[in-house]
Amino acid sequence: MQSRFEQMNNKSFFNLEEKLYNMLKPVRPDPVFIDSLKTKLSHTPSVILESSKKNIGLLVVGAGLFAGALTLWILTYIKKIRE
Amino acid sequence: MLDNGRNEITDENAVGLACGGDPEAFSFLYEKNVTRIYNYIYYRIGSSSDAEDITSRVFYRAFGHMSSYVEKGVPFSAWLYRIAHNLIANWHRDNQRRKEVPLEDHLDLPHKSDQPEKWLEKNQELELLLRGIRRISADRQQLILLKYLENLSNAEIATIMGRSEGAIKSLYHRALIALREEMEQIGYQPE
Repeated sequence: MQSRFEQMNNKSFFNLEEKLYNMLKPVRPDPVFIDSLKTKLSHTPSVILESSKKNIGLLVVGAGLFAGALTLWILTYIKKIRE
Repeated sequence: MLDNGRNEITDENAVGLACGGDPEAFSFLYEKNVTRIYNYIYYRIGSSSDAEDITSRVFYRAFGHMSSYVEKGVPFSAWLYRIAHNLIANWHRDNQRRKEVPLEDHLDLPHKSDQPEKWLEKNQELELLLRGIRRISADRQQLILLKYLENLSNAEIATIMGRSEGAIKSLYHRALIALREEMEQIGYQPE
């Protein structure tokens, strides 16, 4: 036989389950979004490159090195012309 | 057979065809799963614009990894739910203080003008319930939403969550206890 505490516990669970069942209803996503995502997916190549912060960092460092080397080369070139 | 001589896409062959790079098969899988994935994400985060963003990312990621997808006898949706689950975890990590958006525009609640008091009461009750759900652990949230939004059985949830049916039953019991405690903390009594 269930104790009074267990009976109260079960009743409380039953009420909570009933609330969950009655209140959690599926929502309707925006049909424009659904259609537009479908269109985008069908026009996307099957291999997708996901952006990575690591790659962006490498790109910034690379661009910095390139800009530095270019500046150095231009300065050397100008110096040579003047001489 | 279709008019152009290709095999008709069915539930059984769609995943295989999509893995082989068939865009129509992937579209078929998209249409079958997009609403349920959106719903799952929406109830986990409470913002329709972010739910759209994450839903897009789920399908882009799935599309990009189709060629390496291995069929293991579990539903394709289980894979999508797992991707969604991981992206939601990232979203929560990155947006800890993001404000939640009211749900009234999307939910099937009685209209404001019909019975304003009833509408307000039900809407407030739902917001409290959702607040309680979002305060329990991610696994427990996933289980509650799969059970009540998708009406899935414990066996189906076990497949999606990669656990045994017994583990799901136990997790469900713990989820209800945790949810009840959270609801009490925020002042909600389920009568």
